[in-house]
This record gives sequence, structure tokens and C-alpha cells, in this order.
Amino acid sequence: MRRMAALALSLVLGYANSGSAEPAPAEPTAPPRAQRDYLLACGGCHGLLGATQSKAVPQLKGLVGFYLNTPEGRGYLPRLPNVAFAALNDQELAAVLNYVVFDLGGASVPNGAKPYDAAEVARWRARPLTEVPLTEYRRRLVAGLIARYRAPATLGFYDHRD
Amino acid sequence: MTRTLAGYTSRRGFISRLGMALAAAPVLPLLPVGRSAAAEPAPASPSTDFERYAQTKDDTQCNYWKYCASDGVLCSCCGGGSHTCPPGAEPSPISWIGTCLNPDDKRSYIIAYRDCCGKPACTAGKECWCDGEDRELPVYRSPLNNDIIWCFGNASATYHCSTAALVSVAN
Repeated sequence: MRRMAALALSLVLGYANSGSAEPAPAEPTAPPRAQRDYLLACGGCHGLLGATQSKAVPQLKGLVGFYLNTPEGRGYLPRLPNVAFAALNDQELAAVLNYVVFDLGGASVPNGAKPYDAAEVARWRARPLTEVPLTEYRRRLVAGLIARYRAPATLGFYDHRD
Repeated sequence: MTRTLAGYTSRRGFISRLGMALAAAPVLPLLPVGRSAAAEPAPASPSTDFERYAQTKDDTQCNYWKYCASDGVLCSCCGGGSHTCPPGAEPSPISWIGTCLNPDDKRSYIIAYRDCCGKPACTAGKECWCDGEDRELPVYRSPLNNDIIWCFGNASATYHCSTAALVSVAN
């Protein structure tokens, strides 16, 4: 169902990006709640389908699942300041994280990875990454995922030293 | 019309059908169709000044429905369209996303506000400079603020004009 919605959305986006007159959305039904929350809270920068051409924003599509290889990486996503402080309750945020990781992340998710639930999200977001040098923290975390979990080098492309 | 209607209706027939409808009303929500209809969100009603005065005909006007959170000069006044950049300008890969109410079908739609970049600011008249602020938050909540020039993600960060692209139905 989620994938059907994503497909319908991609059709709509195809229209939106074309140079012709803009028709009404091909799919008259709204995307599932988690996808809609992603679009409204995250999709402007991270891309409507998790892909962006900007180096100023990390790519999610096909990559974000690698973070679930370690407990630290799993906690990193809900502890990111814009995630932890999102105007969503724990249940809603868990649903958005699961959409991001399992739908947008696709094959990057390790086998057997469990979805987030509200209680876990509540624990992580209570410790937002506001007291650490975030760029350096991410760089170290990503280096470990590339070295030990076969994450591609593209996971590290969001790095201001590039 | 009234005469034609009167030719095949009667007050007694109407009352009879009304009575049947009232009797059946408590049953209808139990039917699959009834549940499906109940799941549909009720049409939204205007809740902001922008929504009260929005129109769907002229995309070179600030009150065109998709511009409820557009901040800048309209690309539709600059040789582009409501959702397309003028020739020579590049759309920003990052954007602000909001929702606007379409006054025709009373449904909310998700809109991506992309800037067009790489050319000097469009010199359209001031009637094309708009500042829709529906669902916008102050700049200290930057992901929900539309004063930001989204061209910072482009090869050239020069701002030219603003677009509003339809993404999908919101609810």
C-alpha cells in the first residue's frame, strides 16, 4: 500500500516537474499519514522521495537504513535536533522514521532490523544531539558504517569538507 | 423546470421516500459504502484570510490559491509558470513545503515552494511580490519559515523568482 502511494506520488511529481501546464494530481487520495508527515516536515530539504541534488542535505533514499546496523546509529536518527524537536508526538514520529528507514531506505536496511515504536522514540528524543559537535559526530559514525557494515562511500558525501 | 418536476412528483410520494430514508439512516453507516464515506475527511472550510479570498483562475495574482505560503516574486510574472522557472533559471533542489486549500473542491493540497535561481531578481511590478504566510513559523523554526532563500543549495545562489508546485492531496 505504501509503495503504491509512493508510485502514485512519483507520477504526480513527474507532472509537477514537467514544463507543461500543471494538471490536477493523478491520484486523488492523500498519501498515508506517515508519508504526508514526512513531506510536510522533512521532504522540502530531503527531497519528496528522499533524494536531493543538493550537497547541503543528506541523501536518504537507498542509504538511511545503514544507520540501523548499530545501536548508536539507530539512536542517531531520532536524536537529530530537527527530528527530536519535530512537531510530532512519539507515535507519529516513530511512523515517520519507519517510513524513512524502511520505505526510503529500501535495501540499505540490515536484515532483521526492527521498526521503531513510540516508547523507543521517546527514549531517544529525550537525549537530542544538541551537546555534541554534530558534524564531527556524524563523520565518525558514518566512517564506522562504511568500514564495518559495507555502507557505500556516498553515505559520507554530506560532509562539509567535500 | 418546476412544472416538469411537479408532473412526476407528489408531496405524498416525497414524504414516503423521506420516511424510508430516515428509517434506513441508522443502518447506512453499517454498510461498507457508509463506512467508506465516513472515513473521508470532511471538506475543509477557509480558516485564514488568504483562504477566504483565494481564487483559482489567475496565477499571476498573489491570491491564486497555491500561493498561500509563497514569499517572493511570482515566476508566472517573469516568463515562467506557477510551477516552472523562466528560461535560464534553475529550480532549487530544496524547498519549503506547505498546504493550501483549493476553494473549488475545498480540499487541502501539499505544495512545494521552490525558488528559481541563477539569474538576477525578476523585475516584475510590485503586484507580483507576494507574502503568503499560511502555516509559516518565525525564522527560529527555520524548516517552517519561508523567508529563506532556497537557492543556497544551487550552483548559483542568486534568487530570481518563486514557484509553487502541486505535490499531492494533503488529506
